[in-house]
Amino acid sequence: MARPDPLQSALDAAWFSTLGEPLGAGELTDIETYTLALGLPLNAPPLPVQSWQQAAEVLRGETGEWWALEEAERARLEQTVRLDPAAPAWIRVNDRLHGAAAVAAARGGCSDAAMIKVAAGASSYATYHYHLAMAAECGPDHAFIRKYALFSGGRWPLGIYAGRFAIF
Amino acid sequence: MTEVQQQVKTAQELAQQSEEYRTAVGKLVVSHAINELHGARVFDEPAVAFAPNPYAKWLTCRVAMEEYGHHCRFFELGREMGIAEERMLPEKTAKRPLSMFDFSLQTWEEFVAIKAFGDLAEILQVEDLLHCTFHPLRNLARMTMPEEKFHHQFGMDFARELIKTDEGKARLQDAVNRVFPAIPPFFGGANSKNNETFRRLGIKLRSNEEMRSDYMVRAKAAADALGLTLPEVPAATVH
Repeated sequence: MARPDPLQSALDAAWFSTLGEPLGAGELTDIETYTLALGLPLNAPPLPVQSWQQAAEVLRGETGEWWALEEAERARLEQTVRLDPAAPAWIRVNDRLHGAAAVAAARGGCSDAAMIKVAAGASSYATYHYHLAMAAECGPDHAFIRKYALFSGGRWPLGIYAGRFAIF
Repeated sequence: MTEVQQQVKTAQELAQQSEEYRTAVGKLVVSHAINELHGARVFDEPAVAFAPNPYAKWLTCRVAMEEYGHHCRFFELGREMGIAEERMLPEKTAKRPLSMFDFSLQTWEEFVAIKAFGDLAEILQVEDLLHCTFHPLRNLARMTMPEEKFHHQFGMDFARELIKTDEGKARLQDAVNRVFPAIPPFFGGANSKNNETFRRLGIKLRSNEEMRSDYMVRAKAAADALGLTLPEVPAATVH
């Protein structure tokens, strides 16, 4: 079966459409698989974030080990594949991500332009990670693929803070 | 009475203009395409690693993408105008990016200083194109202006966070001292022949000296708002 085109998949995803909604069983599995793949198994349940304001507060917390581990994996994958960040197709994806973040923020009563751009940046980073993982033919349980599954299903995974996976 | 200059509404109409006009517009488009791309590569993308928390990292990522997007739009306009792609890519042209990009970014404070003061200079450059007689370039300037303003605001907002502590303020002042001197030359030389041509053809509005003088006033206001001082810069670069 053909693997999906990461950039086309990003244009079609349900970005930021289920922010603040209760987590489903599939999402809990994605979170567990992501943390295990990263080598950071968690004992505490995920931290559900309910608002844009709460998300902004969480994101201003200390950058944890999860970020460093993701960066190390990105660097490893970039040894074999890279994406031109100035490619027109990639710019179109980023415009779509920013638009989706703006619509979701408006629905959620958030008019903070910076926070909308933070969401756009997070989804851009996740899409880039996903692109790397797909190009390197990583398996479905790869951390970047499970994280992208959460994003493309309408969530915003915020990272790991004080031993809990925060998700909006 | 102000002379009404001919307006060039499309890239196709550009082909019917004088060689002088086409060359002048081409120089600006090439310069923007090269410098937006080079700046994103040497400042914005590396700054993600220096940002202090996920909020700042992802916001910086978005800002980097906006800078890449600006390059992409100038590049596409250049292609419509018939400019060869290799003239608009730093790795393929002999034309060097602006000297302000020679600064080697090493800290978050330096990046904040670059956004607060370097992107303020960029705002002035874009403002000067808002009434350009070549409408595709005028419209591109109008499209990118809100993002350029945000990038300056990004610098000011993170600067306000840094100055909350004496240590942070000292680090930011040190960064400003090292970053700022490279910015005034960004406006080009006094009595520039290129600039005289741009103004005569209605492509730009102000002389390099006028823009640099305005920039110095606005940069000082930004520094004052943060309780910072601007370092002395060599007279040759501000007159």
